[in-house]
Amino acid sequence: MAFSRRNQVVTRPALERQAQYIGDPIEKLHFLRREMERGAQDVYRPWWRRLLLGALVIFSLSAILPAPVVVSDVMRPGQDFEAFPGRVQRQAAGGLGKVWIVEESHEYEVYSNGLRVDNNYAIENQRRFYQVLNRVHSMQPAQEWRSQPVGIVFHTTESNLAPFEADQNGMLKRLGRSVLNNIREKRSYNFVIDRFGRVFRVVDEADMANHAGNSVWADNEYAYVNLNNSFLAVAFEAQTEPGDGGQSINTAQVHAGRVLTQMLRSKYGIAAENCVTHAQVSVNPFNMRIGYHTDWARNFPFSELGLSNNYELPLGSLSDFGFEYDDTFLKAIGPRVWKGLELGMRRLEHAAAASGRSVADHRSLIRERYRRLYSAYKQTGALEESSNVTN
Amino acid sequence: MSQTRSNQTPAIGLDIGTSRIVTAERADTGYQYRAQLNAFVSLPYSSLTESVLTKENVPYSVLAGEIVVNGTESERFADLLGVETRRPMAKGVLNPGEPESLTQIQKIVEQLIGPGKGRRLYFSVPAAPAGSEEGVSYHEASLRRILMGAGYTVRSINEGLAVVYSELESSSYTGIGVSCGGGLCNVCLAYMSVPVVSFSLAKGGDFIDASAAAATGDLTNRIKITKEDTFHFNGYFADKKLQALSVYYEDLIQSLIAAMKEAFAASRSLPKLKRPIPLVLSGGSTLPGGFRDRFEAALRASEFPIQIDQVRLADNPLEATARGALIAALSE
Repeated sequence: MAFSRRNQVVTRPALERQAQYIGDPIEKLHFLRREMERGAQDVYRPWWRRLLLGALVIFSLSAILPAPVVVSDVMRPGQDFEAFPGRVQRQAAGGLGKVWIVEESHEYEVYSNGLRVDNNYAIENQRRFYQVLNRVHSMQPAQEWRSQPVGIVFHTTESNLAPFEADQNGMLKRLGRSVLNNIREKRSYNFVIDRFGRVFRVVDEADMANHAGNSVWADNEYAYVNLNNSFLAVAFEAQTEPGDGGQSINTAQVHAGRVLTQMLRSKYGIAAENCVTHAQVSVNPFNMRIGYHTDWARNFPFSELGLSNNYELPLGSLSDFGFEYDDTFLKAIGPRVWKGLELGMRRLEHAAAASGRSVADHRSLIRERYRRLYSAYKQTGALEESSNVTN
Repeated sequence: MSQTRSNQTPAIGLDIGTSRIVTAERADTGYQYRAQLNAFVSLPYSSLTESVLTKENVPYSVLAGEIVVNGTESERFADLLGVETRRPMAKGVLNPGEPESLTQIQKIVEQLIGPGKGRRLYFSVPAAPAGSEEGVSYHEASLRRILMGAGYTVRSINEGLAVVYSELESSSYTGIGVSCGGGLCNVCLAYMSVPVVSFSLAKGGDFIDASAAAATGDLTNRIKITKEDTFHFNGYFADKKLQALSVYYEDLIQSLIAAMKEAFAASRSLPKLKRPIPLVLSGGSTLPGGFRDRFEAALRASEFPIQIDQVRLADNPLEATARGALIAALSE
């Protein structure tokens, strides 16, 4: 057992999180007893020796390990199946051009691409700390724990809006302040773009916002469950319009969204395929349907924000965890059905065929995987979603 | 993997309590428990007594001119003949006033699980009493000796920790396990499977029975039967025996909470827990209806030094310790 110098037991939050993934009680106890015993040995080892040992291990592994081979139970190598459409193959953030901070104070920050971030509503929340699931290794949690965001989820606030007219200026500002206060109180998003295109930092970037607890996304390498931890949240002050189900944001908001996305991608190396909308990632664990929230189910201005049309990306919720969609969701999407839905289903079918199971059997198997994860996350209290005026 | 381990070396969890001896083993669909009272009765041999036992189908043995009935049947036999049972253990440890203690425990364990043949066995031992340097080494060493002699590969486990292992998997074995047995209440606060604070309180079911018997002038056995059959917490009792039981149960709860408060507040090794932790109650003394509610109410009113998010009863209060000991053995 690890004790501090004051003879106090040292807590190990990373180990706590790892243990939550182990479903079998005996395996969990075996793991914890072993690791806690190791911890006791580590604490008496000088920090520089631990650092040196870690560096040696990493160096040795990088020298001897071959390149990773795809052996997923979700998608087998060599199949005649395109993982991600060619046009949207992984777009690293490297080609963006670097965005750097030009000026900063407690109240605001100015960036080299013209972005100005207002810090007056900034607030802290729980730190990001998460594991990703390795899609090429049967969805095993990756060894390392992360604290940097890996993607962005775009939301709408679904708050009351005044007509965007000059004579409504006072009302527009009042509504903007009201929604910001509400979001701040509930720690719903990391950034909010108001009707005038002003960017407000709310939840600190290093901290998780309560924006998409029940959510799933997957890129070619990793799957992400509970995007509160792993994805930044950017909300546009906007509302889903009744009738066509689309959202509209004004030119100022589009511009702000573009420069904010550029800055975040540059700062954290976020790949374009991990910049997605809430409707793409939201799931309902109770009925195993996708699209519990449908903000930005259509008309998200991907290209104006410098991104490819990510509605074309396969949905990991369908292929990796066995979720389905229904008519309500298709209505929210509108007539231009996402190509990603079809690709997600095709992935599922390929994985089922490769495993020699029927689609139904395979789906129930991978649903069980999700339920285990969901249960583990639920126990940590990490699935919170704000249920305010916002989506 | 655990299944493989358990198949290769079948393991046993053994709870040697003041009142009962319980074993737990892995079965196809979960766990299998067996239990016997940790008690016996002996009477001078007479053909009349022998014929009564035979007629009543009570297993017995004749030793050195005495008829001995041990285990669960001893209580029925004692009630039948109007005598008190003899107890191999008192206050959680081997009864210093009972010369037959080890022999009788050995016989009961043999009845329950047979010879060891190298099987791994974890048996429960109480923690040292709160605020006392007095240990349980003699008790532990004596039991270890008879179990090893029966052919088991033996390790001991703190009783409160066994409750944690049995019941608190969902919080990754972090929380407080409380076992209120016949002789003692055992408490263990564990963090991630590791015991941080453990102690015992020298009050349990026997204390309640003896105190209530003294107050009412009744036989302890009869009080015990009343307690197990009809007592529950409802605030008002017309019956004198139930009233006395209520008073001494309240004493037990208050003493237990006070001891926990003192032990946790005084401990310098407590981790800085970021979340409230669960507390689970087990043992035969927690069985009366309303015990959990009464305990929780008293705990909430006590300015407890640790935040508790839930107080609950073990799924099977009588088997939790044995199950936890088995889980410890299987996870080795």
